[in-house]
This record gives sequence, structure tokens and C-alpha cells, in this order.
Amino acid sequence: MVRLRFFAALREHLGPTRTETLPPGTTVGALWRALVAERPELARFRVRFAVNEEYVTASHRLAEDDEVAVFPPVSGGR
Amino acid sequence: MTRVGRAAISMERLARAVRDPQAGAVVVFLGTTRVHNAGRRVLRLEYEAFAGMAEREMRALADQARRRWRICRVAMAHRTGVVPVGQVSVGVAVSSGHRAEAFAACRWLIDRLKTTVPIWKREHFRGGRIWIGSTPAGPRRVAARRRAARKRR
Repeated sequence: MVRLRFFAALREHLGPTRTETLPPGTTVGALWRALVAERPELARFRVRFAVNEEYVTASHRLAEDDEVAVFPPVSGGR
Repeated sequence: MTRVGRAAISMERLARAVRDPQAGAVVVFLGTTRVHNAGRRVLRLEYEAFAGMAEREMRALADQARRRWRICRVAMAHRTGVVPVGQVSVGVAVSSGHRAEAFAACRWLIDRLKTTVPIWKREHFRGGRIWIGSTPAGPRRVAARRRAARKRR
């Protein structure tokens, strides 16, 4: 089981948290694609991932009890 | 000092946090909430943070800055929640033996903070609100869509 956390605009679509049971070796990217398949309106989001509060790439493989944060790019400015 | 939270940011406190007998310079950057953005009149801004990770990322940036420049101390603070127009939403302070390093490190820290620290901004303006930077459809596209919708009516 992994715990998912969503922030900002994504939180408004998906709620703040949810838990998912995943086959072993699932990547963060595959998890996100599954969510997008379920909710096509999410496809327009550019997202970043963090596992246990560290940035990871989409190819990162998840382990039991990981906490996955999915968020839009941060606020920017110049 | 790294702090992410609802409390107002004090320039005095940031400057005091980096005071150091080895320092000959203290540079403080303050980011303030601007009344206009992308042609819209902003009523207020609202910040949401992934607080634990945000503070960790800030500390990691401070460590990187210390490796890149000969600086003494670093302090960073970011507000969360509603921040009225004209107030400080983010602050960075750096002290160093001589001013060049403090200026360079402060500039680098605020630029990095804005791209890697997980904090999001929602702009409230007359007629709507929008999360900044969250989708390729940025504020201009949203404003254009709204104008088009008005025309259709």
C-alpha cells in the first residue's frame, strides 16, 4: 500500500490524500498514468513527483508504505 | 533559520538570524505581493506548502549555497495562507565576509527557491482565482478563454 498526497490545483481534483494498493515494482509514472486514465481532465497537468519528501523521476519504483506526493510546478515568478 | 508558515515575515528577524562576527555584509531579499499580474488586478494571494518537504528543500539549498560561495549564514522564510497585497510572502537573508558573495548567493537562493521548493500560489482577482503555473494553460490563456466565453453570451 502507498499513500498519495496531492497539492494545489491537483488537490482540488483528487482530494488531499488517498491510498492505493499496487503491484510490486510499479513506477511513479505508471501510477500517475492510471490516475489520468481514470480522470482524463488531469492530462493537462504538468506534474512533479516526490517519494518520502524527495524529488524523484517518473521511472522511480515504489516500495511498500511509500508516501508519494504529486504536485504541479511550483509558483515561479521572475 | 528556515521557516514555512502562516506568521508574518520580519525583515529584522531574518537579518538578525544571519548576524555573524565573521560577516562584513548582510543581504536581505523580500518578495512582496504585487497588485497587478498579467493585466489583472490582484485582490490577494494565497500560498499552499508541502511544509515538511519545503523546509527540507530550503535547508538543502542553503547547504548548496554554502558549498558554492564563501558565506557565513543563511536564513529563509516563506508565508502560507492568505497574504494581502503589499505584504512580504518570502524572504532570504545571507551574510558573508564581503558583499559580492552575499549578493550572489541571495540571488541564487531566491531563484532556486522559486523553482524547487514545493509551495504554490493562488491568485485571487476580480471575477476568479487561479493556481499560478499549474497547467500549460496559464493565466493569459484562462483570461482569453473567459473573454471568449463572454463574447459568446
